[in-house]
Amino acid sequence: MDAMVHVEGVGKRFGQVQAVRDLSFSVRRGEVVGFIGPNGAGKTTTIRLISAVLRPDAGSIKVNGFDVRTDGDQVRASIGVLTEGAGLYPNLSGLDNLRFFAELYGVDDPRRPEALLGAMGLAAHAHRRAGTYSTGMKKRLGLARALIHRPPVLLLDESTAGLDPEGITMVLKEVRRLSREEGVTVVLCSHILHQLEMVCDTYVIVDAGRSLAQGTLAELVRDYVRQRVVELETDLSLERAHEIAARFHARLVAPSGASRSKLSFTVDRPDDVPEIIAAASSAGRVYSAVRVGEDLQSVYFRVMEARASEA
Amino acid sequence: MRRKGIDRRAVAAIARKDIRAITSNVQVWLPMAIVPTIFCLVLPVILGIAIRTGGIDDGSDIGPMLALIERMPHSSLKQALDSLEDLNQRMVYLMFNHLFAPLFLIVPIMAASTVATDSFVGEKERGTFESLLLAPIDLMSMFMGKVMAAFIPAVTLSLASFVVYGIAANIAGWSVIGRPFFPHVNWLPLMALVMPAVALLAVAITVLISARTSSFQAAYQMSALLVIPLVMLMIGQVTGVMLLDTASFTLIGIIIAIVDWILIRLIVSRLDRSRMFESQVK
Ligand SMILES: Nc1ncnc2c1ncn2[C@@H]1O[C@H](COP(=O)(O)OP(=O)(O)OP(=O)(O)O)[C@@H](O)[C@H]1O
Ligand SMILES: [Mg+2]
Repeated sequence: MDAMVHVEGVGKRFGQVQAVRDLSFSVRRGEVVGFIGPNGAGKTTTIRLISAVLRPDAGSIKVNGFDVRTDGDQVRASIGVLTEGAGLYPNLSGLDNLRFFAELYGVDDPRRPEALLGAMGLAAHAHRRAGTYSTGMKKRLGLARALIHRPPVLLLDESTAGLDPEGITMVLKEVRRLSREEGVTVVLCSHILHQLEMVCDTYVIVDAGRSLAQGTLAELVRDYVRQRVVELETDLSLERAHEIAARFHARLVAPSGASRSKLSFTVDRPDDVPEIIAAASSAGRVYSAVRVGEDLQSVYFRVMEARASEA
Repeated sequence: MRRKGIDRRAVAAIARKDIRAITSNVQVWLPMAIVPTIFCLVLPVILGIAIRTGGIDDGSDIGPMLALIERMPHSSLKQALDSLEDLNQRMVYLMFNHLFAPLFLIVPIMAASTVATDSFVGEKERGTFESLLLAPIDLMSMFMGKVMAAFIPAVTLSLASFVVYGIAANIAGWSVIGRPFFPHVNWLPLMALVMPAVALLAVAITVLISARTSSFQAAYQMSALLVIPLVMLMIGQVTGVMLLDTASFTLIGIIIAIVDWILIRLIVSRLDRSRMFESQVK
């Protein structure tokens, strides 16, 4: 077992609210997991359970081989967390914030705080009070704080909310680099699904504290997207298009008029998609072929629909 | 489950961080500085002026004071007073050395509770408590760092105030007594024992208060109640109901230290990360 984070049958209740129930998932070393679900689904609570600041009512959690119940300090030493509010001292400068956390985490390299500040593009603001930072700068400083002790596991809660496009790219690149080059295991919570798609290997979709679906995007598509849609930009005549559609029992949607247009074919069998593309290109010119409804966002809505129809 | 014990590096880091936060925040150091300034400078200066303009020797307020001295049991203070020639000298000596002694304890109380409030409630208000609890530091070390952060500045400020007050008192009373007369030996147990014990008590009580409030306003208001026992002590001193000699100050110091120990044991036994996180992190 190479699981860096192992969650099994975990439950957590706050008074009347069952924030997490019977949740299980496992994250391999170096894997990047997208943890997604609607507001109040229990994502932040799960992150707090994993980082051993909340005790689970039921189930077990292991991080880097340590049990959250018995080895809390080792678990916390193995984890870097970027919390929703970045959790920085407003009256201390950016650099002093990092120096403080370096001491807390027992970091011995005295250059680490400055180096990280530079890596996060904050070198010019090192001596400004963190309270005067912009939202995005705070997030970057928070990320630097989370990374200060080179943790093997990184938990990011809404880490790109409030960031500008450059900040988002920077964070996502850094996440990818950490996972690929340093083998860091990452759990990412976000509501911006297309961003997750750029970095995540697998996903865990939760709602009301329960896991609804888990797997790679391909696996989720296989399990939740019944009909496949391919959109072709082509110069095919409508007649030929209808012919092809009929051959594969596909539903065809075509705008009337334009000679070079977007045709959308909907089929039940995934294997028919390449066949349709092949047939279209032998009958005419295909400028582009895009599969529609197989992105994370569409899959997410499918999973939510499936849950709603079960209930 | 007790393992490695106290993490000295973390204790020092937390204490240093909080102490730096005080010096960089006017809202914290200003109230801390005002009380000692009034006590150590304004009070002696006013009294000094009163003495010079002769407001003290023929006033009608002397009656109760006199009675106070008359009723005094045999003690080093009484001896010191008896050795002084006239009533005026006794009055000045009594006021600076004796009557204001309990009032002086406002300095450590104010300082300790102000810093402790900022240190404990501040973590909650500024949303940094979560980051602190996420660190691989046992709660005992964290708590010790926080207590140090309030205790060290409070004791330092009190000692500095004591020196300034002493100088100011001697100058103010010089025209009447004609030699240095402060401090009386009572100040030894007061400064060495009662003052630190009271500072620690203020920290402990502030910790208990901050656990139940999440806004500075409420915490400060409740901490202000800490001054009530002092006022009572002061009234006791002035009316002569409670005349404190060196032994009483020592005893009071020991009693407060024991109360400190009990309160801190109580707080430490209740430290629980998960429960604290649930109730304190927004
Ligand atoms: N300390 C707490 N005390 C009481 N209830 C809590 C506490 N923390 C979380 N909850 C409740 O637990 C549920 C899950 O909350 P959680 O913050 O984990 O959701 P989330 O998935 O992170 O939501 P969001 O997307 O809005 O960040 C919510 O109903 C919330 O009100
Ligand atoms: Mg959340």
